[in-house]
Amino acid sequence: MTIKVELQTPILARNEETAEEIRYLCQENNIYLVNIMSSPGAGKTTLLEKALGYLSKELRTAVIEGDIATTRDADRISAHGVEAVQLNTHGACHLDARMVYQALQKLEWSQLDLILIENIGNLVCPAEFNLGEDLRVVLLSTTEGNDKIVKYPVMFRDAQMLVLNKVDLLPYTDFSKAEMEQDLAGLNPGMEIFYVSARLEQGVEEWADRLIKLVKRSAAEHENLGQS
Amino acid sequence: MHEMGLMASMVELLTESARHNQIQKINKVKLVVGKMSMALPDALQLAFDVYKAEGLFSSEAVLEIEERETMGRCRSCGRRFPVLDNCLFVCPDCQGIDVEVISGRELYIDHYEGEDGNADDD
Repeated sequence: MTIKVELQTPILARNEETAEEIRYLCQENNIYLVNIMSSPGAGKTTLLEKALGYLSKELRTAVIEGDIATTRDADRISAHGVEAVQLNTHGACHLDARMVYQALQKLEWSQLDLILIENIGNLVCPAEFNLGEDLRVVLLSTTEGNDKIVKYPVMFRDAQMLVLNKVDLLPYTDFSKAEMEQDLAGLNPGMEIFYVSARLEQGVEEWADRLIKLVKRSAAEHENLGQS
Repeated sequence: MHEMGLMASMVELLTESARHNQIQKINKVKLVVGKMSMALPDALQLAFDVYKAEGLFSSEAVLEIEERETMGRCRSCGRRFPVLDNCLFVCPDCQGIDVEVISGRELYIDHYEGEDGNADDD
């Protein structure tokens, strides 16, 4: 006998549940969670390396490093005296909530204010997976070209912050800041934009300061909620 | 790029639901996939063919995919409009930029059909 079952269930229902658990866990422990995404080679690890100096002065910070196979990025972060958990996805093109949940088990929550997740280098798949984060940052580098924004619109629509890296190379590329700003005006008008050269450490302090403000504001809001 | 993984999640959900509903073989699955989801229908079909070899599905099982266009709704004037290329979230009437996505993000199993192994006797 044929039976029809109206399931009406998201394929990523499990991921959403786990993301909610992460969100709850971070709220309970007053931890701010940031998901950083970009294509490979845009400079995520270099940006983190340079920003951690500023962030660590104000916040107890840890990094979750997504990598397909190696521990190179986590080693680079650990060299700065910051706790780094390496996640190897064994070929998977994105981090999902379950992987992040497992990585969180390796961290001492009561000793942390901020966790930065460096996602797998990819502008497509990571956009689909909610990690329970408070903030989505997308990093774009001038050498990739400004057309990446309209080619991967979902990534740039869903992030609240854009960091444009390698601005020192602008004169040597065809990257158009005017076109970038025009495209973002239609796609994500509220997006905050930071211009940095991670390698030369230009603009990194401004970005780190903004993160520190967001983390402290979130912690203060959380405290007020707890009192009321 | 991650359609195999999505299909694995779909099969996991279906396996659980089929057991719960005492269904032995699934003949048809209907998915709804929005244009803003990161899943491509062709790649989903390909991934489905791989999983079809598993015991959950009958050999004639089909995956039906309904695609949904990306639609926005202007929070200023209420106008609903298609979002071209997932890129232009600006109201064509009032040029408002506070736009809510009302369709295009779907990625869900709508329904499926299967056999419970009992003969049709009614």
